[in-house]
Amino acid sequence: MKVTMTVNGRARTFDVEPNRLLLNLLREDLDLTGAKYGCGMGECGACTVLLDGEPVMACMTLAVDCEGATIETVEGLSSGEALHPIQEAFIEEGAVQCGFCTPGFIMATKALLGESPEPTEPEIREYLKGNICRCTGYVNIVKAVQRAAEALR
Amino acid sequence: MSAINRQNTHIIPVDFQYHQPETVGEAVKLLEAHPDAKPIAGGTDLVPKMKQRLLEPGHLVNLKRIRELQGVEDRGGEVYIGAATKLRAVERSETVQRRLPLLYSCVRSIGSVQIRNMGTLGGNVCNASPAADGALGLVALDATVQVAGPGGTRTVKAGDFFAGPGKTVLGRGELVTGFTVPVPGPDVGTCFISVGRTALDISTISIAVALRMKGGAVQEARVALGSVAPTPLRLPEVENWLKGRELDEATVREAAGMVSGGIKPITDIRGTAEYRREAARGMAMEALTRAGGLEGRSQG
Amino acid sequence: MSHASTLQVLGRDTPRQDGVAKVTGREKYASDMSLPGMLVARVLKSPHPHARVKSIDTRGVSDPQAVTLTPQEVPGIRFCPRLVSTPEATYKDWRVLTDKPRYVGEPVAAVAAESEEAAQRALEAMRVEYEPLAAVYDAFASMEEGAEPIHDVIELNDQALKVERNVACQMEAREGDPEEGFKAAAHVVERTYRTSRRYHAQLETKSVLVRPEPGGGVTIWSTTQTLHNTRILIHEIFGIPMGRIRVVKVPLGGSFGSSIQVNTVVPIAVALALKSRRPVKLSLTREEDLHDHCSYQMVFRLKLGADSDGKLVAGHLDAWLDIGGHQVQAYPLLGCVVGWWVSLYRLPHKSYVGKAVYTNKVPSCAFRGYGNPQITWAVETLMDELAEKAGVDPLDFRLMNYIGKGDLFWGQGPTVKSIIQSCGVEEILSRGSEMIDWYNRPKAGSQRGRYRRGVGMGRGYHTSSAGAPVPGTVVDFGGAMVKLNEDGTFDYVSAMMDHGGGTMDANAKIVAEELGVPIHKVNIVNADTGTTVYDVCTHASRGIYSGGGAALKVARQVKDKIRENAARLLDAYPHALKFRYDPERDQAVIYAEGVSGRELTFKELAYAMRHKNLGTVAAVDSYRQPSCPPHFTGYFVEVEVDTWTGRVRPLRVVAGADIGTVINPKLAAGQVHGGFAQGWSMVVNEDLPHDPATGDLLNRGFLADYKVPTTRDMPNLDDFTVFFTDTYEPTGPFGAKGIGEGALNPVAGAVANAVQNALGVRFYDLPITKDMILAAVGGKEGQA
Ligand SMILES: Cc1cc2nc3c(=O)[nH]c(=O)nc-3n(C[C@H](O)[C@H](O)[C@H](O)COP(=O)(O)OP(=O)(O)OC[C@H]3O[C@@H](n4cnc5c(N)ncnc54)[C@H](O)[C@@H]3O)c2cc1C
Ligand code: FES
Ligand code: FES
Repeated sequence: MKVTMTVNGRARTFDVEPNRLLLNLLREDLDLTGAKYGCGMGECGACTVLLDGEPVMACMTLAVDCEGATIETVEGLSSGEALHPIQEAFIEEGAVQCGFCTPGFIMATKALLGESPEPTEPEIREYLKGNICRCTGYVNIVKAVQRAAEALR
Repeated sequence: MSAINRQNTHIIPVDFQYHQPETVGEAVKLLEAHPDAKPIAGGTDLVPKMKQRLLEPGHLVNLKRIRELQGVEDRGGEVYIGAATKLRAVERSETVQRRLPLLYSCVRSIGSVQIRNMGTLGGNVCNASPAADGALGLVALDATVQVAGPGGTRTVKAGDFFAGPGKTVLGRGELVTGFTVPVPGPDVGTCFISVGRTALDISTISIAVALRMKGGAVQEARVALGSVAPTPLRLPEVENWLKGRELDEATVREAAGMVSGGIKPITDIRGTAEYRREAARGMAMEALTRAGGLEGRSQG
Repeated sequence: MSHASTLQVLGRDTPRQDGVAKVTGREKYASDMSLPGMLVARVLKSPHPHARVKSIDTRGVSDPQAVTLTPQEVPGIRFCPRLVSTPEATYKDWRVLTDKPRYVGEPVAAVAAESEEAAQRALEAMRVEYEPLAAVYDAFASMEEGAEPIHDVIELNDQALKVERNVACQMEAREGDPEEGFKAAAHVVERTYRTSRRYHAQLETKSVLVRPEPGGGVTIWSTTQTLHNTRILIHEIFGIPMGRIRVVKVPLGGSFGSSIQVNTVVPIAVALALKSRRPVKLSLTREEDLHDHCSYQMVFRLKLGADSDGKLVAGHLDAWLDIGGHQVQAYPLLGCVVGWWVSLYRLPHKSYVGKAVYTNKVPSCAFRGYGNPQITWAVETLMDELAEKAGVDPLDFRLMNYIGKGDLFWGQGPTVKSIIQSCGVEEILSRGSEMIDWYNRPKAGSQRGRYRRGVGMGRGYHTSSAGAPVPGTVVDFGGAMVKLNEDGTFDYVSAMMDHGGGTMDANAKIVAEELGVPIHKVNIVNADTGTTVYDVCTHASRGIYSGGGAALKVARQVKDKIRENAARLLDAYPHALKFRYDPERDQAVIYAEGVSGRELTFKELAYAMRHKNLGTVAAVDSYRQPSCPPHFTGYFVEVEVDTWTGRVRPLRVVAGADIGTVINPKLAAGQVHGGFAQGWSMVVNEDLPHDPATGDLLNRGFLADYKVPTTRDMPNLDDFTVFFTDTYEPTGPFGAKGIGEGALNPVAGAVANAVQNALGVRFYDLPITKDMILAAVGGKEGQA
């Protein structure tokens, strides 16, 4: 089936099988491997991308269902060498260890700060509970979100 | 070939034809024409099941392009919620927040932000999991399920909609179009609580309570529990017993004992049957206390 | 921080060099890699916990591009995927593909095809006929007479070894006279403890990409903690000359010990690549990964005795390790279990019997702490009980008995002994207890009411590496290369892997510190087996102590060479030259003090050397650390138990760590935060039960039923305090030790003790589930 969507600002048309997942389309057809496979079942958030501005799990999203949609991945967040303030905050706060969860967290954070520019700590924790990090215990991640919120204000 | 080699969560290891109807009529036709068709809304229940090969539909009928199935509408005495309305849209709806706080809490407790951006209220109900939080709220609020099918439309009480784990009363070609939820009056207090293993978990056990009060006495009670029976479970014995009673600590305690005895839990990986009976008692005490406005955090 | 005051680079937070790649999504992990013309592989897994493969029929595979692989087509040798023990301590019982699966999920065959979908179809077209055998899921049942033998013959020291009663290996140890010791003890407590099987839940599943090279070689990108051991194993199995095997470093999406051995996917993908002559990628699904590795489940019978003054006098430990269907490193673990145990507290008399037992379950491997979290939980639980019996405060009891500076230490087992030279235990315990207000905590069991609060503590340590003054049965050394580039920057090259803790950055900082340049002057080079000298593995919290030790050794050699060459060029005496950093030119300068014009920046030096054909300033060397100093940790945890639902919440955490000189404060704290999260859920959640009806995991491999903590399950920022002691390890690079595993080891003990303090009930099984708490509060289970 033909499907057209905008990925990181560029319109793209694909010919896909109905059972093709958005995650595999991004990773295999566009080499956008920032969104990760962590579980394929909605449990870990490593595959988080923004679909029309809202965070979703690309591992459970049918590519054919993205007709006309706008998709943002972590690769589209910054251009050239200049980082987005959220990306900077994650580095500065030591929120990145193995980094496998990082793209998912960053995309979820982008949506959070878009909705709520000054989130409280409980709000941050509630919003990010769909993203698993096995390395950091989340402390430095929550700090990074707070730092990014400040930087974006 | 064994299940362990058939399941594959990298992909959807099932081939199907995909349909995108724009009206309920078209959707019904498609479902009727293909006995192995399944509706798909958010896919958050369906896709995992297909990856596990628990379901292998030959056709998927996407409901998201059907306008009629979308949205929340305040109709005075009741609120209408389209079946394909995203859980996040339900949660963000001011109408729901203001007029159906119980349903709001239930929906907020479903999965994560990502899951609620994808999943729909109709999917939560039609998946017919005894643990479904949205379904539990609708049962406790005595909502009505709107069904469309080859024979036209019909309605079913939420409490009568479920036939067992994963089973509903929907017939061939039928789908759910929406829910009408009666708005509880200002004299009604509600409470929803659930327990999981972590903050992102299907409930090990959940309870939703609605109490219409006059003075300190219960006029009408609805008590529903999740994950304690093959379907979301209403407890009419407890509801009837509470009716007319002064709600004090002793009443709460006794009612909670009845809740604990009235459920039919099993042991599964999330918890034992004994646990669920024991936890049901405490959770019922808290839910009744809070719904009845006795106090915030009662000590036992 | 007195020791830190003279340091320029160390002790300051600096952005990690891989940070930009990781936050922009450009970092390529093994599971992200792809090559033109690549095939995608799938593994055919045994649905039986124990069976013999009677036949495999691949004729149903109609795809002409698909390449299948059966046990007959792989080299028929037995191997051990973990290569850090000497031959007399290495038990071999693995094959690339098995014709006798011993757990549900064990690879029996494999297939590679054009895409994942095609490979999946091909996989489903294969037919395998099995003869099911009796299976056993419990270590004790497995040892019983008449139990189905899981392995008949394995190999030890390249000799056949018959397995008796499913005991994979065993070890005994003894010092002093424990029987007499217990007789003299005024207080004795003996308990049986049972831990769970935990799954690493590293976020990246085990993955590999293999490219066959002209001439019979292979290039390998895989999830691994050890490049060189991967190369050695592939050489052993396939007989490819080592120079033709290139194992390339790729970042790990978490590991926690699960890639300490060569992962099962690696030899399978190599075999497929050799057969198909095309690149092959094999990346496990999460449900396959859950069937691939887990922690060791342990049962302990632990007995400790103290005299009337509260001094420990004797101890005995029986340990049974349920290792699943194969040995990864059970024998060295038996040594470590006794090592971890006897190096916590001074025990003049002690004895130990350890047994590792095969069961038809997923094979166990190291999981952060390598048995230390398990035994430390038991010891710290028992220490509380014994203190109570002796009428001593549990904290004071620990202070009276802990092993610290000057004591003999054999954390890594009986063959790895050294003397402790730095210790921050007292500081950890005194500062921590003050912050949590230890002496005013609730009296155990004194609370009624729904919500009950409790405060508990646990302390422990982990070794930094497995080094010692003399060789034992453990291989542990590393190496590094440093070279001066023509612009005055340095390249630091090492085979060491970074799990994400910032190990390579820390070691680059050690190089920078020694050479007197800012960190941006030291570049971490992505390397492979061909461009690096041997490094054993990133394990045993050795990244900084040992890897940094190697970096420092080599940086010193480079510094000497800079001195010599500069002396020649400046016509000065080498030992008289001095170094400084000039921020204006952003260059390090070597100069003769007081003599104007006699100075060179590093850039000028490199430039001059190139034009005068003097060569490159570089050094490469191996380094064996003389010891494996313990990094000590202590946790004070306050919990709230909801006695109506059985839910336990962390309210407050105070964690102290003695890691010697702190190199990256934020990342070091990050290790503690992550360690707490893992230890917390070890107590309240994590377990991998098997379904006795099918032999499969009860959760069938899905994270939906293997819950790890989320953001909301952890304490708030203000309620989580981490502090580091002011200590200096004389044998460590700039005084540094490790942190990775010590950050986890005592958590379970502290949490369990806090639950006991809240409820007055002690639990001897992990995890302490909501079910157990409600049952205990209801008085049906658990002992007061
Ligand atoms: C990680 C994770 C966490 C979750 N946590 C929770 C939780 O805490 N609580 C909870 O209750 N649920 C939870 N869920 C389950 C799920 O997200 C919800 O049940 C969701 O509401 C399902 O909606 P959907 O639109 O995605 O359903 P779909 O997957 O699209 O459909 C579900 C089923 O309903 C059928 N269906 C859908 N719409 C209709 C219709 N209008 N008429 C007839 N049939 C229909 C489909 O054919 C399918 O069989 C979780 C899921 C995941 C993956
Ligand atoms: S990979 Fe999508 S949620 Fe885990
Ligand atoms: S940094 Fe490793 S999982 Fe989050």
